[in-house]
Amino acid sequence: MAQTPSTEARAGLKLISPPALYAILMLAAPLATVLLYSVLTGEKGSVSLPLTLDNYHDLLTKPVYRALMWRSLIVSFFVTLATVILAYPIAYFVSFHVAPSRKALWLFLITIPFWTSYIIRVALWRTILGYDGIFDSVVMGLGITDTQPNILSNGVLSIIITLAHAYAPFAVLPIFVSLEKVDRSLLEAGQDLGESRWMTFLRVTLPLSLPGVIAAVLIVFIPTVGDYVTPELIGGGKTPMIANLMEVAMLKQRDQAMGSAIAVGAMTIVALISVAFVLWNKRYLGGRK
Amino acid sequence: MTFSDDRPTMIEFKDVHKYYGDYHALRGINGTIKAGEFFSLLGPSGCGKTTLLRTIAGFEDISSGVVMIDGKDVAGVAANARPTNMVFQSYAIFPHMSVAENVGFGLRRDPRPKAEKAKAVAEALEMVGLKGYGARAAHALSGGQRQRVALARALILKPKVLLLDEPLSALDKKMREHMQVELIKLQRQVGITFILVTHDQEEALVMSDRIAVMFEGEIAQLADPETLYRRPNSKKVADFIGTMNFIPAEVLSEAGDKVEIDAKGLGRVTIDASMAPPAHGESPVVGLRPETLTLLYDDQKPLERETDGVIDEVIYFGDMTYYDVYLGGTDVEVRLSMRNVPGRPVLEVGTKVRVAWSPSALVLFR
Repeated sequence: MAQTPSTEARAGLKLISPPALYAILMLAAPLATVLLYSVLTGEKGSVSLPLTLDNYHDLLTKPVYRALMWRSLIVSFFVTLATVILAYPIAYFVSFHVAPSRKALWLFLITIPFWTSYIIRVALWRTILGYDGIFDSVVMGLGITDTQPNILSNGVLSIIITLAHAYAPFAVLPIFVSLEKVDRSLLEAGQDLGESRWMTFLRVTLPLSLPGVIAAVLIVFIPTVGDYVTPELIGGGKTPMIANLMEVAMLKQRDQAMGSAIAVGAMTIVALISVAFVLWNKRYLGGRK
Repeated sequence: MTFSDDRPTMIEFKDVHKYYGDYHALRGINGTIKAGEFFSLLGPSGCGKTTLLRTIAGFEDISSGVVMIDGKDVAGVAANARPTNMVFQSYAIFPHMSVAENVGFGLRRDPRPKAEKAKAVAEALEMVGLKGYGARAAHALSGGQRQRVALARALILKPKVLLLDEPLSALDKKMREHMQVELIKLQRQVGITFILVTHDQEEALVMSDRIAVMFEGEIAQLADPETLYRRPNSKKVADFIGTMNFIPAEVLSEAGDKVEIDAKGLGRVTIDASMAPPAHGESPVVGLRPETLTLLYDDQKPLERETDGVIDEVIYFGDMTYYDVYLGGTDVEVRLSMRNVPGRPVLEVGTKVRVAWSPSALVLFR
């Protein structure tokens, strides 16, 4: 009881200072730099005054930016949709149908795809989806089509498939956690009050697991909007997304100001969508104590 | 206090067994529960009382035997198709819904128009004393309020049987006693069969028309509260319900409806055969409730029978005092309870006393 609140607060500050310093140097400072660069003029790898909104004017008026932003959002939307739809049954199965002592093992098994480098997994998807690849051989072997579907030639679709596979485990975990928190007696109550298992799922389990679903949506949606590697590797750069455009502006055109403006624009859109989701989440989180 | 036998049967168990793997949870349950009865399943944890309740609700399949509800074998009938509703131990209130949505949960397929359903919900809430609570968020309710919502939610569906799984165990003592009386009143008002699972013998005695005492997957005794308290059919039941003194005894003779015994410290006494339940092959003891023994003060005349004793322990409760007394120079110790009334001081340890008792209160276990 010798410690007064102020000494406690000081001790607390001392404790968090290393991570706080790290956060300021590695997150806040670069972010501030990007924000600053975006309102400067960029030329031949350097930026200069005066402050200007020209970059943002270009961003809003030139069709290429809008087109690639839309593509990124659409790819992200479908990746998120596919991931959550695939992840929910897996999470449900592990939470409701796996013996408690085996749940940890199942979650461990779900992480197996991460044991392989993402680059290698992308390369494998190229082999599977490419012309006369595994998918084509199987489909043609079964006599479903006469010509090679060659999914890889459809850049957006192959990017979606590859990303959905990569992010599925990320989505399983938050959904699993929210399902674990559903009081099992609520499901019995639903059936006791006359509902079938399916209706009980729709009226009780699903709404109560929505916070997990929304967390999964955010975890998948946010990083996939800015994904750079997949479009580069899967489509050989022929189907660029917004992050690829940033790379071009930053490194090829050496216009860091424009690159920064694109980054800030993309960040703003992702932030707005995320906040909307978080608010929706809050409505449901408010329903649970 | 006896429950009329002419009531129709609501639930019947015929040799019900339930196994969980190797574990034999229900070991041949037989018995009937009458329509409109307040029935309790009483026993220590793990005795199978909750399992039995869940077989009625349809949450557990039985391994063998028959469960009949209102004359129909309910084997294979899912929980959502049974004329029973349950109040869960945790209350199982849906946290993402309002109070009215919770109460109206089971009305989704009810063909009545919306306005009538809303009226039914309001009436159900009024019945449990939660008038005007409909719009509140369910997660913001107190324990007692949650329980009322759970009751309203079940009763609005007008079940033939209401199942209550330890509904009062999560409440504090005052609230529990209050809700006991409320539940009795509610049961009389709606007139449907209530089946209560509890480990609290006092609660079962207070609330029930009849009680089934369960041990290790079997019904040890099924009787009304008074019979259960005054004439338990085994030492185990006697020990579980309230407090009972057990005194070693010897059976001297049995003739007609009389049994003559010699109880250590009490002497020879003849009891009615109805107070000697069927033998279990144990060494004979007689049971005496603490309140059937009385300490005699100096000015008092002896009652039917009297024995000398020495006070070994005094436990003061305010309205009552419990005395542990050695009987008649033996090592037999009994506990007796005395009401603390004016002019009857609390006696001290070591005081020599006279203990009066009545042969009609003795129960013989053997």
